[in-house]
Amino acid sequence: MVDYENRQPAEGINVTAGHPLRRFAILSASAALLVVLLVLATQFAGALLGRFVPFSAEQRVMRSLDIEFGDAPVDDPVRHYLNELAERLAPGLDLPAGMEVTIHYDSGDTFNAFATLGGNLLFYRGLLERMPNENALAMVVAHEMAHVIHRDPAAGLGGGVASALVLAALTGNAGTAGASDALSRAGLLTGMQFTRRMERRADRAASGAVAALYGHLNGAATLFELIQAERAPSRRPGWLERFSTTHPLDADRIEAITALAEEMGVPLHGAATPIPPQVSAALSRTP
Amino acid sequence: MYQIYGVVALLVIGYGFGQLAERRHLKSLIAREREANALPAIASRFPATDRAYRQQLVGGSVVIASDYFKTFVSGLINLFGGRVTPFESLIDRARREALLRMKAEAQELGAGYVFNVKYETSRIGAGRVPAMEVLAYGTALIADEPVALRATNA
Repeated sequence: MVDYENRQPAEGINVTAGHPLRRFAILSASAALLVVLLVLATQFAGALLGRFVPFSAEQRVMRSLDIEFGDAPVDDPVRHYLNELAERLAPGLDLPAGMEVTIHYDSGDTFNAFATLGGNLLFYRGLLERMPNENALAMVVAHEMAHVIHRDPAAGLGGGVASALVLAALTGNAGTAGASDALSRAGLLTGMQFTRRMERRADRAASGAVAALYGHLNGAATLFELIQAERAPSRRPGWLERFSTTHPLDADRIEAITALAEEMGVPLHGAATPIPPQVSAALSRTP
Repeated sequence: MYQIYGVVALLVIGYGFGQLAERRHLKSLIAREREANALPAIASRFPATDRAYRQQLVGGSVVIASDYFKTFVSGLINLFGGRVTPFESLIDRARREALLRMKAEAQELGAGYVFNVKYETSRIGAGRVPAMEVLAYGTALIADEPVALRATNA
């Protein structure tokens, strides 16, 4: 007679050992890393493609959108002066044929200036009124012109939209909000995000143009000194700040200008050119 | 951002209740299995022949669903591959539970053995909620009326 019996099954033989939370942590971290890499890759690809869009197409789109930049009429003295300054800076920047910049001016208090699609540059009185001389102002104008020449607005938009779409595709509903936010910001064109590399390249080109115009780099670092003073001192350590902000650290940029002056063999100091009195008057006038 | 909070909350709830349910169920399984071992369930297709038995089909089934945490982690595993560990213990418990239910039915019939025991699983509810049924069935050998049994067999 065969003896039949059931024994208590051994525990855990059908289950892989290991804490579920440990597995969860490893998997989530890997997935997050994958998403970050994918987004960065599409951002890079989008930026690359963005630069291939002809500048004329950029201008055509902007004309059809007909966005109002600033509040100053074409014959405004400040706008006129900025235009004239841009013309003087253009030879030092190697403005390619067919590319032109349109200067806009806003009498608001915003401490900002930016370059956007179609070669449109907007300068706020809040920034300009803080400029001690023409040299510092020229650095700002040349910096924004350099962004246009490098096609940074198109690259920024291309990269931003491409990465936002990938994020939306990956995360579904949660990402859709991010994508539409990115698209609407792109529509506003004020929140254009440039990478630190773009900023450094623009700094470099602008320094060259300022040096070509004045023969020295006095005032080139003024903008960053001002921004540094404007910003509330950060409690975060420098390395974290460097990682998390799009613009290079102001201190790093000031250092970079010093290094550039040495490299180009241009003196860091020289006689500053004053801002014409009628422009200064217009800038200090509160609207 | 709120969606992320929602996912985190669901993960915490899923993990908490999932772990609690698993610990309780394992405890109950072990206790009931010790008792049920008195009634052997055998996979062999050839029934015991020491005496005449009445035979009857018995079965036990259980329907299980995954919790949010397990589903989430298995989704991540889908991305990278590997053992779907969150479901291993779940399905192991389901098999044991189904067998116990089958044995319970056999015990009620006064069976001495269950032979030719088999498992079947099927997925329930296509779509977002991973749920499945585990069915254990076999032939119960009941020795209460050996004479009558022989008469029926003749």
